[in-house]
Amino acid sequence: MKPSYTAGDSHPVLIVGAGQAGATAAAALRKIGYPTPIILCGSELNAPYERPPLSKGVLTNVLNEGSIFIHPASLYEDQAIDLRLGHTVISLDTEKKFAYFSDGSRIEYGSCLLSTGGNARLIPDLPKDAPGVHYVRTLQDARELRSALEKQTHVLVIGGGFLGLEVASSARTNGHAVTLVESAPRLLQRALPAVLSDWLAERAIDFGIKLKLGVEIESVSIQAEGVQVHFKDGTMVSAPVVVVAVGLVPDVELARNAGLQINPENGGISIDARCTSSVPDVYAAGDCASQMNTFFGREVRLESWQNANNQAQIAAATIAGSTLPKNVVPWFWTDQFGWNIQIYGEYEASLEYVLRGARPSSTGPGKCVFLGSKMGVLRHAIAINAGGELRQLQPLFERQLSCVTAAFTNQEQPLRRLVEEALRANAEH
Amino acid sequence: MTWLHVANSDQLQEGDVISVSVENKTIAIYQHLGKYYATDNICTHQYALLSDGYFEDGCIECPLHQARFDVRTGQALCAPATKDLQTFPTMLEGSQILLKIE
Repeated sequence: MKPSYTAGDSHPVLIVGAGQAGATAAAALRKIGYPTPIILCGSELNAPYERPPLSKGVLTNVLNEGSIFIHPASLYEDQAIDLRLGHTVISLDTEKKFAYFSDGSRIEYGSCLLSTGGNARLIPDLPKDAPGVHYVRTLQDARELRSALEKQTHVLVIGGGFLGLEVASSARTNGHAVTLVESAPRLLQRALPAVLSDWLAERAIDFGIKLKLGVEIESVSIQAEGVQVHFKDGTMVSAPVVVVAVGLVPDVELARNAGLQINPENGGISIDARCTSSVPDVYAAGDCASQMNTFFGREVRLESWQNANNQAQIAAATIAGSTLPKNVVPWFWTDQFGWNIQIYGEYEASLEYVLRGARPSSTGPGKCVFLGSKMGVLRHAIAINAGGELRQLQPLFERQLSCVTAAFTNQEQPLRRLVEEALRANAEH
Repeated sequence: MTWLHVANSDQLQEGDVISVSVENKTIAIYQHLGKYYATDNICTHQYALLSDGYFEDGCIECPLHQARFDVRTGQALCAPATKDLQTFPTMLEGSQILLKIE
């Protein structure tokens, strides 16, 4: 028999935003056994899906689109989650606890979770609806780009961040000519040490990408046959397809208008360790949320799949009054140019880096891990094709134990044994 | 199907995972609490060898995206994997690890 989720006359949990965080929170509430009605609404028409494949398997068409959905379609009915697609909340009255929808309807909520995510940062000269111009944030965006790439063409990617690099890699994999432009002097400048940026740039070039680094846009002209982009160094690139990937703007308009506190630096909705906002019974999770992070030691807004899931679990536990899940080491992955790159922690120029393994060649296999430490404590690790090795380091990151990082470069020993030794040495002290 | 000799017990210690090839399939063999288990070595989410992953408490974590499976049952335990792994019966005969492919 299906459980009943009509618990008394309590008002529903309203989840605004049906992406990774929203869909995960809804299912987590049920898993905890929370009996109250749940309404999960989102502006998009697709059921909640995972975004990481949009720039990868969805573009290269190797992935069955059906496999990207977060939950099986039957889950919403089975778990009595009222999924309302194409439903946009336009305002909140946090005193009366009313949410107003764009169709004029309103509901009274008991708790409200804002998982509104964000939108692609726009370049005004390259508007979203201009011919040949693409942004990649939604499944619909990815489908439109995929159909623009059905015939062989030249693709200009603006932005050398993770998304831009993944799109460039996917387009090149499909045989297109690809130019990638980044305004910073090196790729992933804020995420990687310089040596790794250089490796990645060489890898991209080997893969067939034309790279333009340290180049800014001067002007744009959009014509029927394609988009012409003039750069400040005097060069010009003309391409029928332009993909703009210059970051994300958190979607916090609803929260701001409702009077929630917004972090002035990162633009996210300020939440505490329990994902509670500055207003009672309103919570936030995912790309739109700014939270004190115990690993980083400061308030951050993280745009990652892991963070969306983790904050969703925390918000669900808070709403249901159950035990909070434990903190996680910030983790991120990207797949590009045949490399799976996974990262723990974050880059700081002052870290001391050592290398375990060797640079993977452009043709053959190979794997390596870069370890960045400060005074013998691991703060950053980047694994190339070595996710399993990265994972071995988790206890050292979690507990911020000191270790001799140089010892980890010994490839005669499996990393697992070396980590065990480091853990033993810490236990003895 | 007959039992096939796929590995020897000295090839893996407690908590280890190795990869073997049997009849054009790549299979992961695990040792957990003194017992041997075998699963398909390819993650059900995307192409990755689970034997390159992280094995702990009877669960294998994919090296690509940290999907986790219970190697005793093949059950997919967390996102992004939703499909279970195929498992195979194993037995130890002397020092030989035997496996049966259905």
